[in-house]
Amino acid sequence: MEKQWNNFCRELFDNGGYKDVLNGLLATVEIAVFGLIIGIIIGTLIAMVKVVPKYKILPRILEKVVDVYVGFFRGTPMVVQLLLGYFVLLPLLGIAVDSIIVAIVIFGLNSGAYVSEIMRAGIQSVDSGQLEAGRALGLSYGKTMMRIVIPQSIKNILPTLGNEFITLIKETSVVSFIAVVDLTKAFRQIGAAHYEYLVPYVVLALVYLVLVMLIALGVKMIERRFKRSERRYSK
Amino acid sequence: MNVDTQNDDNVLIKVRNLRKSFDKQEVLKGVNLDVHTGEKIAIIGPSGCGKSTFLRCVNCLEDPDGGSIMFEGEDLADMKVDINIHRQRIGMVFQQFNLFNNLNVLDNITLAPIIVAKRNRKKGQTVKEIKEKEQEKAYKLLEQIGLADKAKAYPSTLSGGQKQRIAIIRALAMNPKVMLFDEPTSALDPEMVGEVLDLMKKLANDGMTMVIVTHEIGFAREVANKIIFMNDGVIEEENAPEQFFAHPSSPRLKEFLSKVL
Repeated sequence: MEKQWNNFCRELFDNGGYKDVLNGLLATVEIAVFGLIIGIIIGTLIAMVKVVPKYKILPRILEKVVDVYVGFFRGTPMVVQLLLGYFVLLPLLGIAVDSIIVAIVIFGLNSGAYVSEIMRAGIQSVDSGQLEAGRALGLSYGKTMMRIVIPQSIKNILPTLGNEFITLIKETSVVSFIAVVDLTKAFRQIGAAHYEYLVPYVVLALVYLVLVMLIALGVKMIERRFKRSERRYSK
Repeated sequence: MNVDTQNDDNVLIKVRNLRKSFDKQEVLKGVNLDVHTGEKIAIIGPSGCGKSTFLRCVNCLEDPDGGSIMFEGEDLADMKVDINIHRQRIGMVFQQFNLFNNLNVLDNITLAPIIVAKRNRKKGQTVKEIKEKEQEKAYKLLEQIGLADKAKAYPSTLSGGQKQRIAIIRALAMNPKVMLFDEPTSALDPEMVGEVLDLMKKLANDGMTMVIVTHEIGFAREVANKIIFMNDGVIEEENAPEQFFAHPSSPRLKEFLSKVL
């Protein structure tokens, strides 16, 4: 046990393993953060398509399109989506893109499918009178959504969005499938040096745990700030 | 019952054969109404008679199923018409106030005027100038109702009466040609009804064209120059207030008045 610990420390500090770990941590956070940002943008657009009145033909077509989109990204594993993107789609398009960019894009697309449901529920939790008041003043549907309804839905959405971020952080552990060196990959390399995995993987788990707890704490603090600025809601 | 006796030129809104159903329930069964410039029309009737639905159809918050609503030379019931342009000229006040909860009072009032002014912006006019001009206008309106000190307050910190009065001047800030009121005092505590009715009276005296769905019979009698009784999806009776209350002709109106007066 002590030998394993010493080997781990040697790999980590003396043989430069910490560089990989730090870069891996950066990659993990980058993929999750940018993935979530893309996911929020896509998710908001999908949610708008879902809640917009379906009188005209265009919203109906769009709804079918987003149904297929959401169905695909929720119905297949993230790993498969990564593999398809990196090993199938990229060669097909004939372009070379850094694998971390691919990971960010796939995570964004995947997250968008989940965030859309979060956003839809959040938008529908806002009193319909708010939309009506905006429309009655002559504002367009989109303007009323962006200025009135969505800002109010954020408060309801925030905790669930925090959970989505935590899910993304944990799911990034599969990105080494497409040759991204993330946190998991970095620790696996350290273990592979001596074929001793006990210490690296326990430490890896702890690092994820601390990461997730920090995010949870951050979300709670943001929530509290929202609560403070939120004035007593009454009709 | 003849609605076309007045000069046609000052008819602001001409509603003809307006129909609306929710699922299979027919709520409006062909409503005809002329709203003349400067007129104050009060709509009364039992609950479920379609009076709120009628008002909401006038600015297409509910899309009518049939009939026409002529306003400024266009038929609002026609789905091809850009309804947003016309809604800017038709103020609406809701039972539940519907102030924007995420904006303070000043932003509530200036949001829509600033967006419109930006769109119609003259050459050389900066966004800052537009904002300042609209805010100045909003402060003037707030001063008129004695709530200038609430400009930076959020809606949830205000009383119902304050909210509704701000909702009214929010609509006024768009310089509407007509104001629609959908039971503006029904959600208010009794002691706050007066302040809202007073503001509406002032508006009426200033010559605003108003269509008011209300349960305040006394207010209707005092302010309106035409009272409409709706029942079962149609206008059953309309008359000047004196005749309306003194000589109701329809038996159902007589019954209704006997209950509410």
